[in-house]
Amino acid sequence: MSLIRFLVRKITSRVLVFYLLLTLTFIIPRLMPGGAFAYLIENPNVTPEMREALIKAYGLDQPLYVQYYIFLRKLLLDGDLGVSYTYKRPVLDVILEALPWTLALVTTSIILSFSIGVPLGVWLAFNRASRTGVSVSGLLFIIRSIPGFWLGLLMLIIFGYYMGVAPLYGAYTYGVTYSNLYEWLADVISHMWLPILTLVLLILPFPTIYTRNAVVDVIEEDFVKTAKAKGLPETMVMLKHALRPASLPIVTLFALELGTSVGGALLIEIVFSLPGMGKLFYDSIYTSDYPLLLGIVIFVSAVTLALITTVEILYAIIDPRVRIR
Amino acid sequence: MRKVLSRSITIQPISLIIEYIGILKFVVSDFKGALGLTLLIIPTVMALFPGLIAPYDPWIPTGKPFEPPSFSHPLGTNDVGQDIFSELVYGARISLLVGVASALLTVLIGLTLGVLAGYRGGVLDELIMTVTDVMLLLPALPLMALLAVFLGPGYQNIVIIIALFSWPPVARMIRAQTLSVKENLYVEAARAIGASSLRIILKYIIPQLTPMLIAHTVLRVSGAMIAEASLSFLGLGDPRAKSWGSMIYWAQRSGAITGGAFWWILAPGIMITITVLGLGLIGYKLEEWANPRLRR
Repeated sequence: MSLIRFLVRKITSRVLVFYLLLTLTFIIPRLMPGGAFAYLIENPNVTPEMREALIKAYGLDQPLYVQYYIFLRKLLLDGDLGVSYTYKRPVLDVILEALPWTLALVTTSIILSFSIGVPLGVWLAFNRASRTGVSVSGLLFIIRSIPGFWLGLLMLIIFGYYMGVAPLYGAYTYGVTYSNLYEWLADVISHMWLPILTLVLLILPFPTIYTRNAVVDVIEEDFVKTAKAKGLPETMVMLKHALRPASLPIVTLFALELGTSVGGALLIEIVFSLPGMGKLFYDSIYTSDYPLLLGIVIFVSAVTLALITTVEILYAIIDPRVRIR
Repeated sequence: MRKVLSRSITIQPISLIIEYIGILKFVVSDFKGALGLTLLIIPTVMALFPGLIAPYDPWIPTGKPFEPPSFSHPLGTNDVGQDIFSELVYGARISLLVGVASALLTVLIGLTLGVLAGYRGGVLDELIMTVTDVMLLLPALPLMALLAVFLGPGYQNIVIIIALFSWPPVARMIRAQTLSVKENLYVEAARAIGASSLRIILKYIIPQLTPMLIAHTVLRVSGAMIAEASLSFLGLGDPRAKSWGSMIYWAQRSGAITGGAFWWILAPGIMITITVLGLGLIGYKLEEWANPRLRR
């Protein structure tokens, strides 16, 4: 299959997924017991005038298909996600301010955990019978059993409270003016290293165990034995011969992991009170700020889909095998 | 003890060495299951007989707020003076119940869709598998939380929500298994003598899948428990019930970290981890039992 055809097919299918998601976010609020948008009436933050305006703007007094049309038109043509009840500003603006923090946290953590996890997995496959190898596997299994947000709290207690080497909340020191970019960066890193470490630990078991199993599958193959018999150094055998066949599924895992770890990242942000999407998400649930909540769900899903698709497309450009189904 | 413990947790890979120490592998692999069961004893007993273990009613303030652990309150008291250890004991029931119920519903949905897709094939198969792939792409947690917000509090809703977002991997696995079981000669024979599709599915296909189903139900319980804890941590649990997840939520909200009340946060998290770990160990052991090819 040519690259162009692959791109067209991939992007069309992902756009369809996004459209399905939009439809879901349209339906879910209308599932609420008490009929369509009953929640508008119950929200203490919504004044009667505001409610009238909202009912008019979303066509809530009209049949469902009209509401659906208005919903899609506002969102897709105007990029309008509504106005946040609590911030009294367009949802899109509020989200765009928070998004970079979340993106930075997620991408840094995933890239770090894969760059540690894949080599660790290869090493584990070759040392699977050794005492250290077994202990590492056991440790990874235990990490996988820990609820992510609780690990965050644990890290906060250990490093933040007891050892005092990390701040208890925030992504930067409040009320400080920076003289240059490096000062700002240093401050942010001193706040972000612990949440990143937590998320890296949480993601780590997936690439590691996956790589280990994939490499174990080929370790007994003749070409690996041949490479060893030729007298190639161990690392060369590991990386060039054993890891190569496993690289394709690892990239697929990387893309999928982007999707699953976003949820984990939101919770970690809440634990560490970072100014990202997680905190917005938590606040919007707590204050019943529904336009913001819906906006976050739509945005988080859109960004996730975009990230996954980008990784897949980049890989398809590098490796033609991917383009075949 | 430690050595055996860590050794037991690896999933044994293909290895010639293993053949020579087969007997050791047997002991070790049995220990894995044994360890899993041992870990599960504590939460199970708590869930079954909370009244026998808990010293107090977790709903009644029995001390001053924020008491540190003491002889009369082993894990101290919370912000309204309720005994945290008693909360922990009573929380086991809700946490386990939600986990088990969600897992059963998840496997039921996954089984139905997986068998339909695998057995019927064709357009239905493509449709189900497309939906499955789409579900796997979407970030589950934000969508689960959105549903929880709009469906309102209550553990029945949490169970349904968790199941709605957990079935895709089960459906995939069941579909693959159904495809291979379907090829067996006795299925063909049953069809030849005119057995209906429903009869073939119920009598000849599902019984073959049962070992796998049991293993996956156990594994799903642990996944569901983590999902429940995450939703509760977002404040979307049932405010009238006490679960381990909602305990952490209230601890976090009441400033347990800045106030130094760590036991309040640590205890429920440790219980969740122990239970999930125990279920995981047993689940993988059961998977090996269901699929002997995994015993490598």
